[in-house]
Amino acid sequence: MTGWEVFLQQLIIGLSNGMIIALIALGYTMVYGIIELINFAHGDLFMLGCFAALTVVSLTGGLPVWLVLMLLLVLTPVFCGSLNWLVDRLAYRHLRDATKLAPLVSAIGVSFVFLNLGLFWGGLPLKVFGFGKAAAAPKDFPTLVSNANLLGSSNVEFTTKDLLVLVITVPLMVGLTLFVKRTRAGKAMRAVAQDRLAAQLMGIDANRVIGQTFLLGGGLAGVASVVASLYNNTIYFQMGYRAGMDAFTAAVLGGIGSLPGAVLGGLCIGLARAFADQYIATRWTNVIVFAILILVLVFRPSGLLGAKHREKV
Amino acid sequence: MSLLQVDKLTMRFGGLVAVDAVTLEIPPGEIVSLIGPNGAGKTTVFNAITGIYEPSAGSIRFAGHETRSEFHGSVAILLLLTGFLTAGALILLCNIESLWEVVITGNYQYRQVFQWKPAGVAFTTYFSENSGTRLILPAVLGLFLGLAGAWAVWQRSRRTPEVAAHAGIARTFQNIRLFNQMTVLDNVLLGMDTRLRTRFWHAALRLPLFWRERRDATGMAIEILRFVDLNREVNQLAENLSYGHQRRLEIARALAMQPKLLLLDEPAAGLNPAESQSLMELILQIRERGITVLLIEHDMQVVMGISDRIAVLDYGEKIAEGTPVEVRANPAVIEAYLGKSDAST
Amino acid sequence: MKLRFHWAFLLIAALVPVVGLFVPAAQSLGELLRPIFIMAILALGLNILTGFTGILNLGVAAFMALGAYVYAILTCDIYPFQFGFWPAVLLTVLVGLLAGLMLGLPTIRLRGDYLAIVTLGFGEIVQDSLKNMDVITKGTQGINPLPAPTFAGYVFRSETYAPWYYLFLGFLALVVLLNRNLQRSRVGRAWIAIREDELAASCMGVNPMKMKLLAFSLGAAQCSLAGALWASFLGSSGEPGNYDFQVSIIALCIVIVGGMGNIAGVLLGALVVVGCNSLVLETFTNFLKAHELISSTNVYTAPGNWKYMLFGLALILMMRFKPEGLLPSRQVKAELHPHEPPPS
Repeated sequence: MTGWEVFLQQLIIGLSNGMIIALIALGYTMVYGIIELINFAHGDLFMLGCFAALTVVSLTGGLPVWLVLMLLLVLTPVFCGSLNWLVDRLAYRHLRDATKLAPLVSAIGVSFVFLNLGLFWGGLPLKVFGFGKAAAAPKDFPTLVSNANLLGSSNVEFTTKDLLVLVITVPLMVGLTLFVKRTRAGKAMRAVAQDRLAAQLMGIDANRVIGQTFLLGGGLAGVASVVASLYNNTIYFQMGYRAGMDAFTAAVLGGIGSLPGAVLGGLCIGLARAFADQYIATRWTNVIVFAILILVLVFRPSGLLGAKHREKV
Repeated sequence: MSLLQVDKLTMRFGGLVAVDAVTLEIPPGEIVSLIGPNGAGKTTVFNAITGIYEPSAGSIRFAGHETRSEFHGSVAILLLLTGFLTAGALILLCNIESLWEVVITGNYQYRQVFQWKPAGVAFTTYFSENSGTRLILPAVLGLFLGLAGAWAVWQRSRRTPEVAAHAGIARTFQNIRLFNQMTVLDNVLLGMDTRLRTRFWHAALRLPLFWRERRDATGMAIEILRFVDLNREVNQLAENLSYGHQRRLEIARALAMQPKLLLLDEPAAGLNPAESQSLMELILQIRERGITVLLIEHDMQVVMGISDRIAVLDYGEKIAEGTPVEVRANPAVIEAYLGKSDAST
Repeated sequence: MKLRFHWAFLLIAALVPVVGLFVPAAQSLGELLRPIFIMAILALGLNILTGFTGILNLGVAAFMALGAYVYAILTCDIYPFQFGFWPAVLLTVLVGLLAGLMLGLPTIRLRGDYLAIVTLGFGEIVQDSLKNMDVITKGTQGINPLPAPTFAGYVFRSETYAPWYYLFLGFLALVVLLNRNLQRSRVGRAWIAIREDELAASCMGVNPMKMKLLAFSLGAAQCSLAGALWASFLGSSGEPGNYDFQVSIIALCIVIVGGMGNIAGVLLGALVVVGCNSLVLETFTNFLKAHELISSTNVYTAPGNWKYMLFGLALILMMRFKPEGLLPSRQVKAELHPHEPPPS
């Protein structure tokens, strides 16, 4: 492959992975925008979604691929969204007015619970989980979408998988933007994010709206987990940490609280990872992502598209 | 010469102009009140003076200097130091493994004496051989990043509240901001922080300076509490005090800073007439101690009772200034407070 | 003079080996207490940041790892340095101080939640780097063997546990003393004020940036000390995987369960959390193994696999019901005695 072809290939890989990161980052940024909580458990929610997807696949053994995909894209987001909503209801709701530290630590606790759930899930006596023999080991996700290169015999590969990522994520993001801008529920979310008390005085049930935000953010993570599982064909119970870290960096890079920022950040991080893997060394990629995070926070803490934060005295 | 010179101060938040070209001159030793309807921009002016907000336009000079840290030689040294540290760190990061191999493992035989000289030679040859990518590139990059980062951080910290505090400006807040989990005494001692010289090693090792300063500081703090009549509540948690006492504690904490200028933001809010009366006496006593007072207040009894001069803000603009008698009769002021058709005071 | 909990704890702890001379059970307890002392030092380091200053640090394991590896590099005879125990520990603490300063400098102006994530990332980066730089760190092998500590000619052999016990207890007592001195001083006051209301504190002239940097450096130095002691205890630097997120979270659990900002609480928390983790879980596991109730293929039966769940639930429940911890800070106690003279 020529240098140019290598570059293009990494571009495609970077953008595809970037879209997945963007989906997770959207969930992060929505929850942060509305209650200023960094949901540590979000990455692990994504991981649980992957396990849920694998379970769905195992239970729908003989069905045609398109049907399995449909089921995945419906059931997994519902699962993740509901779980996220439940966690808010049980753990975070009572901490709305507590110190900043309390919901943060709570989120860490939830993250841990999810982590353990992932470990136990891998121990289920199902064929796809290796009959529970090695709960902690990575699991293979069946290749439902082929690796066939849509560009024919070119050196640069744009596979059906890449197409799948585009086909799922782009309409979803457009739909999300429309939802937040045009619908009443979306407006309520933006109102609560800007000023919770004022929104409540206008008759908006803040807790319900916050719950809906968690539901939506979780759903996005669910879609991300389906796409990621189909794209990477492997899941393991510690994958939540990496995904969460990348998504958080993306959200901060784009400007936390900003939806287009999360998408932009996700794409940037995806590209950064791909290029770092190729041109520097895989073992330094995580360090580079971390360095990006530090640089953004030092030079432009509000991110690329974010708004400045001003404390009222 | 005025103690505080606010010159055409303008504060813009997004599209909203909260303060519009306000000019104030506060001579030393006076009690000046800033009044105006709610939302007129009074607290915003306070926040600009104390360094919480950066002025969008205009200047604020306290005792002749602008209330922000200037670029001294020491700042330049700090920036350069950060640059060099970052450069060093980056060089180390890029080279540490190969350097280690060449210098240490290459020259050290297990359990034998380490040969320093060949190690040193290996060190210098390593860098002279690969100086391009190994030395120059990370050094330059690190220097640039370090300088730029330190500059960015310094710029953001130039006009911060602690700069104004060190210059001699103290304040209280519209919504009381005491340290609720700390005792009354600790709150006042915290106010005294700028005057203390104890460093962390004095404290950790309990050196004589620590004991001496603690004794002196506690004495001074209790004297200040006696001045505001709170010396009976020394060990009480701040959040357990009554509202009136909390207001006094905030003033005591501000006084502990030994300021030249004291900014009081609605100190009489929520006080009954008797409490307001003793507040007025307290402020007069503060003035007698040589402290200039700038006051935001809605209670006209207090304002008219102790102010030497009054400035009136409305919608971010200064609409009147003068002695209490002058301001009282000013039609623009009456209109701002009471509306056009009502001419009574 | 009232005997405060932390001195009582240390006093009782000092007596355990003495009792152990007569009661063997106490002796085995003493052996198990040594890691608790080290974890307590680690948690006290975190306490400076989180308990006093209100900065959530999720990567203290990184500083512990740093301390362990620096100590190992300085003392192991596969490298030419070969310092003695005491100079090595001192140097390790200084390196920790510097490392805390370097992490703090670019990140100090960040808001609390952002800073937490940065420290989380830092923990991962350090662990990764230690694994990757295997020329220096020997990768997953670790740097070993390390010589035993010496004191005025006496060599601490690993067979006799009592001198080691007192060595670590001594370090813990020193750390407790220094922390307590800092807490009840201008420095501690400034830290707590920053935690309560950073803006008001800076309006009073406190420089939050400087104080947070100080907290970072001192906290990191203490965590590195814990790492050095740990390496000396193991006789090895351990492998990078030992200093993972789990260690950081145990430290966080200790601080939160015990009582944030309260030194005695941290000691109690160390006893409870590490005790649970190593003693209770292990004993339970051994018990189940003995009765053949643990199957190697069934992940649910090994108590060790429930660790994350337990820690997570502990954190969630503590935040929900008792966020001030098991031993609330002294400030709350002062509430009950408002007219007593100022505490010493």
